[in-house]
Amino acid sequence: MFKTLAGQERNGFMVDYLYDGSFEGFLTCIYEHYYNEKASGIYRSDFYQASILVPCRTVETEENKATRVYDAIENKISREDLKRAYRVFLSSAEEKENKLLQYLRLGFQKGSAVSLLHSNPIVFEVQQIEKKVTVEMHRLKGLVRFSALVKQAPGLVDREILYCKVEPDHDVLEIIADHFADRLKSDPFIIHDKIRNKAVIAQAGSWYIAGFTDADLPGLGELERDYRDLWKRYFETIAIQERINPACQKRMMPVRYWKNLTEFR
Amino acid sequence: MDTTLEKLKILADGAKYDVSCSTSGVERKNNGKIGSASAAGICHSWSADGRCISLLKILFTNKCVYDCEYCINRRSADVSRASFEPKELARLTIEFYRRNYIEGLFLSSAVEVSPDYTAERIMNCLKLLREEYGFAGYIHAKVIPGVSPEILHRIGLLADRLSINIELPTKESLGLLAPQKKPKNIFTPMTQITQTLTERRQLKGPGTMFKNQDIYSTASDLRYLEPEGENLTPGDGSLLDLTGRPLAIHKPGKRGKEKFAPAGQTTQMIIGATPESDRQIVKTSESLYRNFKMKRVYFSAYIPIADSPLLPGRFTAPPLAREHRLYQADWLLRFYNFTADEILDEKTPFLDLELDPKISWALRNIEKFPIEVNKASLEELLRIPGVGTISAMRIVRQRKLSAIQFDDLKKIGVVVKRARYFITCRGRYYGGTDILPEQIRQEALDSEGIRNQLLPKADHVQISMFNPIVSQWGAGIAQRAGTVRSFEADALNVAEGVRSYTGDVQNFSGAGKERIHGGLPL
Repeated sequence: MFKTLAGQERNGFMVDYLYDGSFEGFLTCIYEHYYNEKASGIYRSDFYQASILVPCRTVETEENKATRVYDAIENKISREDLKRAYRVFLSSAEEKENKLLQYLRLGFQKGSAVSLLHSNPIVFEVQQIEKKVTVEMHRLKGLVRFSALVKQAPGLVDREILYCKVEPDHDVLEIIADHFADRLKSDPFIIHDKIRNKAVIAQAGSWYIAGFTDADLPGLGELERDYRDLWKRYFETIAIQERINPACQKRMMPVRYWKNLTEFR
Repeated sequence: MDTTLEKLKILADGAKYDVSCSTSGVERKNNGKIGSASAAGICHSWSADGRCISLLKILFTNKCVYDCEYCINRRSADVSRASFEPKELARLTIEFYRRNYIEGLFLSSAVEVSPDYTAERIMNCLKLLREEYGFAGYIHAKVIPGVSPEILHRIGLLADRLSINIELPTKESLGLLAPQKKPKNIFTPMTQITQTLTERRQLKGPGTMFKNQDIYSTASDLRYLEPEGENLTPGDGSLLDLTGRPLAIHKPGKRGKEKFAPAGQTTQMIIGATPESDRQIVKTSESLYRNFKMKRVYFSAYIPIADSPLLPGRFTAPPLAREHRLYQADWLLRFYNFTADEILDEKTPFLDLELDPKISWALRNIEKFPIEVNKASLEELLRIPGVGTISAMRIVRQRKLSAIQFDDLKKIGVVVKRARYFITCRGRYYGGTDILPEQIRQEALDSEGIRNQLLPKADHVQISMFNPIVSQWGAGIAQRAGTVRSFEADALNVAEGVRSYTGDVQNFSGAGKERIHGGLPL
């Protein structure tokens, strides 16, 4: 038995797969696991610590292999499990790749019934991780606070851009992008993940993700401070003194999110 | 901007006692400009009282011609007054919305000049939002009692949800505290909304609660609440004695176009200001669900804002524990197939403040237990304390694959420490030696630390190593700082007079429970 994961699953498999950190790369590893040598574990190559006990192999991401696994998950397990696998992949959970590998192996045996095995330890764990990602995704839909920045260009009309900074636990940018892109068709906007130095950049309903730092951001719009004040005032006024309950507030809206919320700044 | 700031403060202050803030129940895609609505609802922030903020909850005006005793904006109150201009409020909403501060607008109002004058200004504001700004976000409009059917209809076409407060659980209380508000003026618009939704076949949700009833035959379905006790005549103690045929002003339009209040209708009542029993309140809300196909009935613990001989004293703490139990009872009505009579019978007119109503029911009906989780129907599973809608569904699904072991229940999501007294798993009972209601009650109280949270905490009590650890109990109960005196002895005398909650509950909020807005997926 090696390293951390559930022992018997790993016995007998003697090679660690290393991949580039992309979902496609991970799916290619699953392909290799089935069509080549069984993997004892899957790890991101940039975070991997080599061990003398387990040899490792770098798996190059190959689109056609990834696509085949993608389709296989969708058709042989279910669409929901594909979605689940993707969300778990976006999480910051430790050894998420290995947990997913086990889940998918079980899935290819049991088919769509895998997601009903709520008390199976592998399924339970993956389900818990998925829940964390989904909860954060849902929370961020509410907890993003845009500021109106004004882009000035010579000879052109000043243009407002909505900008916000987030620091989520999991890499949820791409699963919240659609929501905001659909909602704010009339405004270009940037959602900046400060931890991962990337951002969703969107305009008129379409969006892309790019590396991003806040170095070149334009300044605040003319009325921005006024609206921030109005919001803060509203936030204070709406609380009923007789019901003040900070524990409840913190449970619903964990303090780690507060630093990027207008109402607390 | 300064004047808007001043107005915002005054008019948000006046609106904060409104309970409903939910944004669920309607899915609307962006129609080209700004905004969308998510069926699951989105909370954007949580205020210091732990209640979520999802809508810009605000009054259009607080200049009121009415003089309701319980209301902070009543005519005789000495408060600052302000009114928005339709344009001003529409702009504020859009700017807040763009910054993702809010999910939409909850627009309520005092009655300025007349119901129709006020309603028309509200209508103009909503029109600006929908038509000028192309806003597709959530709008909840409060209906002004006494509004004319034509204006109400137009507002319904602009808003996602409509609500009209029945204010108090009985006609007598309304007559006493809000003599200018007539039951007729409340129930006529309520009926009109139900009628319109029914004709357009736009009712969603409530129909699933009462499966054996034809939800589209509203006119014949308008039943009045049965009287309480023997010496009352029909209509006594109930608001629901409306007479006359409901209004129907519009034929159903082209289907799929012009949606009328697609997220349905809700209402709200104040509890603890008047002497109604919990049974009367639960019966009234059951009747509202049945007759008006309400999406939700909200309860708002009375918070004293004025000295009045008709109301509990100024320093009476709001009955927040009671409010919380009423919401739990409401959940049983809507998602667990309980009837009001099952939750509270004539012998027990009040909910047990120490135990949730589902355990109370189970202890009163102990002969129905234990239930074998591997064999029981979904309906039976839902009656087990500690089993929720999600875990009941999971049990039904998973046992098709293999028998459920006792150890599986926790992973399925069952609150095992509560459920174990009421179940057998593969024929075995895990709750101790025998099913004794008194013993279960005691153990349930101890194991969940409810007693520790609800009963007086003496400062000098030493922490014993043998005391049960206070656990976080469910999602809704906050850590309690206050005290509750013994309610049991109290409950017996309560039917007589106004129940006083002197210094009973502080820092307690049922708000946590409220966060699951539209309802659980079943």
